[in-house]
Amino acid sequence: MTGRCGVVVAHGRLGEGLLSALTRVAGAQDNLWAVSNDDLDTESLMAEIESLIAERGAGREAILFSDLDGGSCCQACRRLLPSESVRAVFYGVNLPLLIEFVFLQDLPFGEFCDALLKKSRGALGVHS
Amino acid sequence: MSQVLFRVDERLIHGQVVVGWGRRLHPHRIVVVSDSLSREPVEQDIYRTGLPASIEAVFWNLDEAIKGLPAVLDSDETIIVLTEDLETMLRLAGGGIPITDVNIGGLYAGEGRTRLLPYVWLSSDDEQRVRELEALGVRVVAQDLPTAAPVRVRERVE
Repeated sequence: MTGRCGVVVAHGRLGEGLLSALTRVAGAQDNLWAVSNDDLDTESLMAEIESLIAERGAGREAILFSDLDGGSCCQACRRLLPSESVRAVFYGVNLPLLIEFVFLQDLPFGEFCDALLKKSRGALGVHS
Repeated sequence: MSQVLFRVDERLIHGQVVVGWGRRLHPHRIVVVSDSLSREPVEQDIYRTGLPASIEAVFWNLDEAIKGLPAVLDSDETIIVLTEDLETMLRLAGGGIPITDVNIGGLYAGEGRTRLLPYVWLSSDDEQRVRELEALGVRVVAQDLPTAAPVRVRERVE
């Protein structure tokens, strides 16, 4: 068991879709889960994220991955930052970011954040 | 002595190979053995797109592979050797390349093919190739990702 766990908090089925894709390329992960904001207000979404971390996080530091900065998912995540269990909220989640979480999750926190951002930003581009 | 993964996968270089196996094995080089792709530089560039700078990909035809692989296998490199079909892998083994294990990572549905696993569909010719590889002392195992349970294919085709 590693020292970190992750929750993808996103609109619609994006979170479960990303984890489905991640499983195809990096294998199944036992410390990464998805929550959708479908039909949930902010408080209910926060409660769902918190209960997931409490039930399955096993005391590990939680990293949240939201989709749109400023969107309701991200807002709910940020409101959980003061809680002891949530260490960071990434936004703009994409598959490369989650791949890096899988392989770099044991890095020291600062290095971990820098590496994930660098890799996921570097993975965005256009072929034309 | 090199560390080598011999893999049969119709998709050749793709996410499972680069991420799933690549991040586990840290290969220096990927050798794709394909007579057709060895003549297609544009296709090769597309396959190279997802590779980190630390991994070199070369595309050899069968003859080049039979001549070139022994030196690579003698080196300290970690490599992944990819073919898109069992026939090419069988020809490598038959051509004297010392293969102890073949990983089947993706052979998909097509006419005359039977499903063994969601990602492994074999024709009767393919089943015969598995038997021939095993007769040469090669263990043929289906395993799409390092985290997946390996399945000995011989037991499914007898």
